[in-house]
Amino acid sequence: MLDTHISHQPIAVMTAVNFGELKISRNPAETLVAFSIGAGIGVTMYDPVLKVGGLLNFVLPDSATMSSSKAQFQPFMFADTGLAAFLDALHDIGANTENLKVVIAGGAQIMDQTGAFNIGHKNHQAVTSYLGEKKMAIHYADIGGIFMRTLRLDIGNGDNLIQTLGQTEVNV
Amino acid sequence: MTNVDDIINGIDTLRPIPPVASQIMALAGDENSSLSEIADLIVHDPSLTASILKICNAAYFGLSQRVDSVRDAIVLLGLDEIIELVLLNATAENFRDEPDGYGLGEGELWQHAVLSAYAAKMLAESHGFASHKHLVFTAALLKDIGKIIMGRFVAFSYEKINILVHSRGYSFSEAEKEVIGINHEELGARIGQKWRFGDRLIYMIRHHHMTDETARDDPETALVYLADIICMMIGFGTGVDGLAYRFYSEVLDRMNLTEKDLQNVVFDTGQRRQKLDKLLYLV
Repeated sequence: MLDTHISHQPIAVMTAVNFGELKISRNPAETLVAFSIGAGIGVTMYDPVLKVGGLLNFVLPDSATMSSSKAQFQPFMFADTGLAAFLDALHDIGANTENLKVVIAGGAQIMDQTGAFNIGHKNHQAVTSYLGEKKMAIHYADIGGIFMRTLRLDIGNGDNLIQTLGQTEVNV
Repeated sequence: MTNVDDIINGIDTLRPIPPVASQIMALAGDENSSLSEIADLIVHDPSLTASILKICNAAYFGLSQRVDSVRDAIVLLGLDEIIELVLLNATAENFRDEPDGYGLGEGELWQHAVLSAYAAKMLAESHGFASHKHLVFTAALLKDIGKIIMGRFVAFSYEKINILVHSRGYSFSEAEKEVIGINHEELGARIGQKWRFGDRLIYMIRHHHMTDETARDDPETALVYLADIICMMIGFGTGVDGLAYRFYSEVLDRMNLTEKDLQNVVFDTGQRRQKLDKLLYLV
């Protein structure tokens, strides 16, 4: 029989979470990864009890500054609509807000003396105030600077790896 | 310091842009040229015609009928789209060579070039410069062509550049100039001169980081500059230079743009980015 040779060990998979996407996983062999985060922010939330988590890769602070159709069509581009959908999705699979370990990385900034076009900073403010309202703590934040970051979440153990170009990887 | 002449000699290692594409670039950048002139150029170049038909017939465009002539392609997709495909097709080969030194993965410089070209065109169309959209598209596509040659020299001097950027507040291109003696935008302009690009296009490549204050008054260059910054913020095809470039807020004032306008372009560019991968493999 052919299927006697099929391994039942989980096969490690890496799933890219692109710009403007949200992915949720309960597969312990899966790692979610957002590559090359610039002024946007990668947010991971993980429930260590249920071993489920997700990654949101958004780039703009506030859907209300756009026409409403934009937020409806692409809710994960924005901090507010993206985080709301993220928490809804986690609640739907039984995750408990109080258990969630939250890590954020990104919010890089252009060299701007005046702060006229500081999306990275506004994105950071948007995440902290949204989660603050929900009384949720941020476990670890790696924000700002002028360089790109890659953020990974290992669904098996809830570890986050943050890599900034040219620097040592941080495991949180 | 590296001998700048050695770097400039590196231009000869690039594959020159085919003459017909240069002609189309020149016509597309000239407000007074007619679209039928451009169409004629494409139609009379068999190899360009073949490439364009192959691209147009790919599933990406979702055309319900097979296209067998450039005229049909123009009718179905519009001449603007065809011109853009010609420009992408003419530049793709050089950009696909991964430049060492900027920490970019395979094809990332090319992805950045194409996305910023579309971002620049969107800005031109939505902010009163639609008649210059082909020029702006072309300039944004070619603005970093100097990086293809510079990369090797950046790799060699990376530690010195990195110290200036990290500890002394230099922008990446200021640090290139200080350490290597030339920066990627100056080198890009030299490539443009060698390949006989039009003066406007060379100017826009030369000034796309707006280091020279007078360039900040030039609206088409400003569109290329803003498109570049938007793509850096999105993080698409950005390497070790990251966001280490200067933002001059007076450019926004002079263009009558607000941060909200730019956020809209970030959104639209982000959407475009999601669709771009398939197109990039076609050209």
